[in-house]
Amino acid sequence: MSGMTVNSRIAGQSDAKRMTGNIIKTVIILVIVAAILIPFYFSLIYSIKTETDITANRLAFPSNPTIQNYIRVITENSQFVVGFKNSVMTTIPTVLILIITTSMASYVLARFSGKFYKFMYSLFIAGILIPFQCLMLPLYLNLHSLHLTSTLTGFVITRAGIQVSISILVVTGFVKNVPRDIEEAACIDGCNRFQTFWQVVFPLMKPVNITQMVLNTLFVWNDYNVAIVLLRTKESQTLPLAQIIYFNENTADLNLAFAFFTMAMLPIMILYLCMQKYIVSGIMSGAVKG
Amino acid sequence: MIKVSDKTIRHTKPILSQYSVKTHGGNILFMLPAFLLFTFVVLIPFFQGIPYSLTNWKSIISSDYEFVGIRNYITLLSNKFFLNDFVHTLHFTGLYILGANFLGLVIALFLWRSSKLNNTLRTIAFMPFTVALTSAAIVWSYVYTDITTPLFNIPSPLGISSQVINGLVIIAVWRDMGYCMLIYIAALQSIPYEYYEASCVEGASWRQQTMYITIPMIVPAFTSNITLLLAWGLKVFDYPMAVARNMSAAETTAMYVYNNIFGFNKAGLGQAAAITVTLVLLLLTQIATRSLRRLEVEA
Repeated sequence: MSGMTVNSRIAGQSDAKRMTGNIIKTVIILVIVAAILIPFYFSLIYSIKTETDITANRLAFPSNPTIQNYIRVITENSQFVVGFKNSVMTTIPTVLILIITTSMASYVLARFSGKFYKFMYSLFIAGILIPFQCLMLPLYLNLHSLHLTSTLTGFVITRAGIQVSISILVVTGFVKNVPRDIEEAACIDGCNRFQTFWQVVFPLMKPVNITQMVLNTLFVWNDYNVAIVLLRTKESQTLPLAQIIYFNENTADLNLAFAFFTMAMLPIMILYLCMQKYIVSGIMSGAVKG
Repeated sequence: MIKVSDKTIRHTKPILSQYSVKTHGGNILFMLPAFLLFTFVVLIPFFQGIPYSLTNWKSIISSDYEFVGIRNYITLLSNKFFLNDFVHTLHFTGLYILGANFLGLVIALFLWRSSKLNNTLRTIAFMPFTVALTSAAIVWSYVYTDITTPLFNIPSPLGISSQVINGLVIIAVWRDMGYCMLIYIAALQSIPYEYYEASCVEGASWRQQTMYITIPMIVPAFTSNITLLLAWGLKVFDYPMAVARNMSAAETTAMYVYNNIFGFNKAGLGQAAAITVTLVLLLLTQIATRSLRRLEVEA
């Protein structure tokens, strides 16, 4: 049986029917894409309009686009700059800590299948089901007694600890599919296990480590729940916290509030668009198995 | 070359097992950093929280407390606010799971075949997932007031008590349907083409193919999406905190916990609520996984 007949049998429809089907399909897709993009269009448009332009014609493309709003958000007060700096200073260390710790642990969890390792794996994975609300009070008290509340260090430790479970799920799934031959060859060449891991296995894990980097960046950068509990001073707040405060203070100046939003969103959007290949493959491989 | 290394491996294997103490010791060292982090942030606080929930601990700044047994839990079960918040949370979670999965699946069915256009559309569909929940909520609150109200004459759902949860569901579905889509696409792509070919030869209709091949084959994707969204839904906190902070009709259990611990000086009660929510989450996840797994086997 040739491929052509199979295809038409699968579609099981005449040409005319398929045409109408395609038109309906295109319309549905266009509606969905529009619905997805409207909030983005909206933030962008508001952020480059002048105040008078917003009240005059809300949704139209601005008559004279301006970047003045962005400059004002950055220069007029320190909220954005402090928030941005704190977000960068917490996201980068959290992501690095997770790459190092979970790639080591996942390597062992993927390679050994004894009872002990199975138990450890289940223990790590069970963490996914524990909501942060349940940990919030004891964790706050523990960190408080270590003088780590309202510090970026405390936030980094907490955020990394919460993220460990998901990272191990994603990375272990990947390592199981990495062939052992190369490690074994390295073993024969007289590398010790530590050297084997860092020189041979870790480089092979690059794709999955990029995946977890992007995913974790997303979760840490956008975190609000941990931040509102732990970061209780103005100097320590990250972007999502600063954003809400700024927004409440500037409801009259929507152009400024939206310039703030757009700038907070932009770094992560750029990262996603550059790395989307990894994020997509990572989510697909990790989640369906788990 | 290959033969030589094969032999060597066969020789080295028994030698390695002799050093199993060294191997396992090494393994433990490899797992230690992640385990310490996990223990400090998740394990210890989780167990610490249980005795806290049995006290009348008032606030995070005082350490004065008495042991009150399960009184907090009894209070919760008869507390109108907690029960209302629970209903709001379940209402949100139910519609959110349905909406995000339905739309995610529809988009996946349109876009699962890889082509340049489809890949671009997938990129767009996933984009909302990169936006912070708080930003999504605030931007949408203006989409409601500045687009849907003037254009379709629909008042913003975030301003009406009976509609506010539905308004939040739309935001959450917008943000997370792209995630569901990705999982469904992965599942659809993993179905071997031969299944369709074979069923064609047997004369199966499109409907039969959908019913007996496509849907059973993507049940694992349902399991994964439903359990994950169930957990995200029951934890919902950011959306109402950002746009409906002072509306009691939008208060969720996560907010109830937060408010009691950090606002109302009822930390013990808040912790008891947190544990109740965790138990419900574990129970519902178990039920969802079990029933979906059964579907998998029967199909």
